[in-house]
Amino acid sequence: MTGRSFARRVAIAVALCIAGAAAPAMAGEAVREAFITSQLADSVGVVDLATMKQVAEIAVSGKPAGIAMSSQRDFAYVTTPDGKELVAIDTAARKVAWRINVGEGPLGIAVNPRSGVVYVANWYGDEIVSVDPKTQQVTHRVKVGRAPSGLAVTEDGATILSADRESDAISVIDAASFTRTGEIKVGEHPFGVAIEPGGKRAFAANVVSNDVSVIDLGTRKVTATVKVGSRPYGVAFANGNAFVTNQASRSLSVFRLSDLQPVTTIPVGDYPEGIQATPDGSAVYVACWGDNIVQRVDTATLKAGVKAEVSDGPRAFGTFLH
Amino acid sequence: MLGPRTQKSLVTQLGETLKRIAIAALALAAVMPMLANAHGPSRKKEISTIEINAPADKVWEVVGNYRDMGWHPQIGKTEADPGEYKKEVTKRKLTFKNGAIFTDTLTRYEPENKTIAFLTNDEDLKTLPVEGYSSTISVADEGGKSKVEWKGAFYRGYMNNDPPPELSDKAAIAAVTAFQKEGLEALKAKLESGK
Repeated sequence: MTGRSFARRVAIAVALCIAGAAAPAMAGEAVREAFITSQLADSVGVVDLATMKQVAEIAVSGKPAGIAMSSQRDFAYVTTPDGKELVAIDTAARKVAWRINVGEGPLGIAVNPRSGVVYVANWYGDEIVSVDPKTQQVTHRVKVGRAPSGLAVTEDGATILSADRESDAISVIDAASFTRTGEIKVGEHPFGVAIEPGGKRAFAANVVSNDVSVIDLGTRKVTATVKVGSRPYGVAFANGNAFVTNQASRSLSVFRLSDLQPVTTIPVGDYPEGIQATPDGSAVYVACWGDNIVQRVDTATLKAGVKAEVSDGPRAFGTFLH
Repeated sequence: MLGPRTQKSLVTQLGETLKRIAIAALALAAVMPMLANAHGPSRKKEISTIEINAPADKVWEVVGNYRDMGWHPQIGKTEADPGEYKKEVTKRKLTFKNGAIFTDTLTRYEPENKTIAFLTNDEDLKTLPVEGYSSTISVADEGGKSKVEWKGAFYRGYMNNDPPPELSDKAAIAAVTAFQKEGLEALKAKLESGK
């Protein structure tokens, strides 16, 4: 590397840090750990990303599945579909801080990046619940389609999306009034939904039609459908690409965000589910339910790398990097 | 006593009731196919293994044949799509000896790893109270003998909260455990007897 290109990289890095500081606190900071919901073990494991070892395990009853980090990453919020609870874990103390009943079959979970409010999708209750973490109370409920699973919130905190699995649709919810303002029909059985950086489009992984619906959030219309592997589950974005976990194909489908053309398919462990990109986009981490591992995938070489052994049935459905 | 007006209103009421029942039945019928393809959020896992005193190649010849699952005592007939095996494309129909029909799709076929996997599309809840039952069967050589692993991943056969006992997580795990054990034991008996 020449001195000049090194200087440019430093300048870019500094610029990125400044940009990061303008975003919600800590959001741009490097991640050190992964908090992994191990559903069959009834626990949340803490994986050290430098050594790729599970260094702690927090008992969480009720079959923990969904997870979302608070903006400051001081709390990991976990849903327990069988326990009907939202469980808040203090990430520094690695302890359960509080837990409340939220309703029937809580699964998907997301945090409003502006207000810090926590949203939970109740799979059996067909509703989205809003929880104020300061008071630890349910503040609002809104009915959506059938079996809501994945949730996503726009960067401005104004809009919530829920993937309503049995309705083959994405619900649009206005965060301020907590009312459902629209429904967008997508492929068959959308499960995970994610909003690309910049916030213009949302991507829904359709478990039964084996594709991803691309939604323009301005017009609220599906503008494209991208074929992926078998039983797609979650979507993450890094390095100009979308990465989709294909549960039954044991792989990630990778396609370009610019033209939605396929890039490659990356073999990973059995039943890949939860997926999240690092803030710098250099890697995505994938929880593989079947093999009880968390795997790092390099987004430049597009190769799966080191694995961390975790407890039984890791799902990590949501944001889990700390 | 009932005047003509009252009689008429009774008939009307009866008609309304029948109409409501019909609407309810139609609504239920509309919902049923969706229920069949849905599941609750908690997938279960059951890993069964067995050691067989036969070479891994011989064991793989049997379990790696997607066109014949007759090595499992409960399966009567296997009807698979013709042609080359295609991952996530090739399908088959399994007719159980009790008459139940399951269909599945080949999701992995790796002779080099002696691994085959398939995922059910349609199940019969009375035979196995599960949905989306995925099986990964692999054969490993252990010094001339074989170790066979059958990894099952499945949901209980009831999508809502509070399932009836026969469709609970517990019932699903018990049924899959028994089904896999029965299959592996029969496989062992078949290969060790040389038949």
